[in-house]
Amino acid sequence: YDGLAPGCHLFPFNVTIRSDRRSTCKGSHVLHACVGYCESSAFPSRYSVLVASNFTHNITSASRCCTISKDAKVKVRLDCPRGRHHDEIEILTARACRCDMCRKSRY
Amino acid sequence: PLRGFRGCAVREFTFVAQKPGCKGLRITTEACWGRCHTWERPILEAPFIHRHHRVCTYSHMRILSARLPGCLPDVSPLYHYPAALQCHC
Repeated sequence: YDGLAPGCHLFPFNVTIRSDRRSTCKGSHVLHACVGYCESSAFPSRYSVLVASNFTHNITSASRCCTISKDAKVKVRLDCPRGRHHDEIEILTARACRCDMCRKSRY
Repeated sequence: PLRGFRGCAVREFTFVAQKPGCKGLRITTEACWGRCHTWERPILEAPFIHRHHRVCTYSHMRILSARLPGCLPDVSPLYHYPAALQCHC
């Protein structure tokens, strides 16, 4: 990501998906993530914030993070051995990105 | 020079310290500012978005005290505020 300019940008990455019980069917597709550098800052809280938090929140954070602002479903075809049949799976990909509200990471 | 800056750094910050019963005092201190590496990536399983959100904030700080002017007799003139020694994403 070193070449990325500040801001939040579409970033292509390749996924390989395997399906069925023995994972014998598989397919690959290029999806898009949103990756970037958005502005954030932290500074002393105003007195009203100090009072409202019983003097526990002495730092206020104003932050933006790179988010997916628009997504779309794409169908990925999974080919099975010996061309007997194929499966199809729907997955999400990013279509547009934006520096927006930060959320707690789940991982 | 900050237009292309990536990362998180200590930066000068000026604010007016105010509390009821005293006059305000303009204070310049060290706070944190920057651009952290963040991303969202679709994944196959719930919740379907893998998220890496980090913000630029204090990693080391000390608490300083200022004396506000013109306080009423029963109001403490002391005003405590944080000063960043180091910041991180």
